Amino acid sequence: MHEVLRAEIGKGLRVQLAHPVGHVITLLISTMMYLGLQFVLGQGELRQDVLPQTLVAIGGYWFLQYAGLVMVADLIEERRAGTFAQAQMTTAPPWLPMLGRLITSSVFGLAVAGVAAVVPMLVAGITVPLRWAALLPAVLLGINALAFTFLMAALALVSPMVGALQSLFTSLVLLLNGSFLPLALYPDWLAVAARVLPTTLGVEALAQALFEGRSLARLWSGGTLPWLLAHTLALTVVAGLLFVRNHRRALQEAS
Amino acid sequence: MIEIEALTKVYGTARVRAVDEVSLRVGAGSVFGFLGPNGAGKTTTIKMLAGLLIPTSGRVRLAGFDVARQRSAAMAQLGAVLEGSRNVYWSLSAWQNLMYFGRLKGLRKARVAERAEDLLTDLGLWKRRNDKVGGFSRGMQQKVAIAVALISEPPIVLLDEPTLGLDVEATRTVKQWITEQARELGTTVLLTTHQLDVAQELCDRVAVMRQGRLVADLPTRELLAGFRERDRYEIRVEGAAPPGFDAVTREGVTTMSVRVRDPREVYDVVERLRAQGAVLESLTQVQPDLEDVFLTLVNEPTDA
Repeated sequence: MHEVLRAEIGKGLRVQLAHPVGHVITLLISTMMYLGLQFVLGQGELRQDVLPQTLVAIGGYWFLQYAGLVMVADLIEERRAGTFAQAQMTTAPPWLPMLGRLITSSVFGLAVAGVAAVVPMLVAGITVPLRWAALLPAVLLGINALAFTFLMAALALVSPMVGALQSLFTSLVLLLNGSFLPLALYPDWLAVAARVLPTTLGVEALAQALFEGRSLARLWSGGTLPWLLAHTLALTVVAGLLFVRNHRRALQEAS
Repeated sequence: MIEIEALTKVYGTARVRAVDEVSLRVGAGSVFGFLGPNGAGKTTTIKMLAGLLIPTSGRVRLAGFDVARQRSAAMAQLGAVLEGSRNVYWSLSAWQNLMYFGRLKGLRKARVAERAEDLLTDLGLWKRRNDKVGGFSRGMQQKVAIAVALISEPPIVLLDEPTLGLDVEATRTVKQWITEQARELGTTVLLTTHQLDVAQELCDRVAVMRQGRLVADLPTRELLAGFRERDRYEIRVEGAAPPGFDAVTREGVTTMSVRVRDPREVYDVVERLRAQGAVLESLTQVQPDLEDVFLTLVNEPTDA
């Protein structure tokens, strides 16, 4: 089991690094986009009151966007080429190589999200206080984004057109998860809608822990953490069920 | 050993029967040819054998393991080269591909490395083991794909069109490999091919599929012998063609192809030629080859 997982992760990393240009371009875009966006929204200036919170959100967006892109694009390409079928003849259960793919994707997602957050911090002098209470929301934010990625991958098993759906959702996440403005500044109805999307609740909990100094107990009693947990769990369960269903469907309908 | 029992695959709402009640038994250490025209159901059958497609009904066992119920054990028995697909990662080197696919079969890294070294050396790819497969010729890529299929030393190998698009030398290497695997290592090889000369040369047994059904499943010799009643004779006579015979005359020699149902009819033909003053140069029995048999089988009218 471990051998298969390690092999899958190693292969994924090597395949991705064999074509580094795409990753480099994404890194460049990710560093420039955020500051450019905030500069325009701030009507020619970078507003220090919103930068830290939106920075957390843009990090969440990039993690979701790039991990998902790597995972789904890779899966579609491999299905088309035939290497996916060859890899299916493993002795391991089908979810294990998918877990390996998810870990590979998360490495690239983390790299881009990290650069997208750290470079603006250095350039614009943004300070993000580090607190232990932020660790759990940060982990849940990551799992939340990966559950969405897994959901898209499950769809990619039966539909090569999943890329369009993925673009739609990631665009909505960029618009609404707090990357433009902190969620607290949204009208109530929009904030509720935004919280349905992946990453939003994670960004909110993380921001509350980091910038308002809330403890985990307060995050829990305030409702942010339970909602984040429930959202992540629901997304994971739906993705898992969809994967089982679509994997079986793919095996029934392959031609 | 491969055992297939009443294997059936029905597709979609149109209920197309791509494979219809196919039963087969392929003995250990044999090379089995699975033939049929395009759309006959060969690749669908191969995919069901490889666990890549769930049968509508029926059962597949690989070395005694049920593909549906004992998938992990069944996959450990199997290596495959699938038709029309890359089979290996072009952006990885030959070595990296072998290490990856070997470990996917649950083998330890050190064991895969030993085996990969042997395979790449045997295939003449050792010096280029660190080159990306995408830069290899089609023949070399196919060699890597075959090495991937053999990396775990599986007792069963499925080869879907293994020589398709290969040049003469690469084809010969692949054919040698198939023979060695079966004869020396006791590997069961099931291969599909449209190159019937390859099938005739390699296969101990041949099955022909047509419209999802098996229309023949016999040892190659028996299959060919079964078509003996349609034997042809090639007769060559000096000079021009005698009247009443379909013949081709080239450089003063006339060649006639005569079909007979009973070999004794040949005497009558020779007698007619002698009566017409023809001088016999040679008379050769033309054995039916697999191509003749195949074309006869797939062009026979169906019951449906």
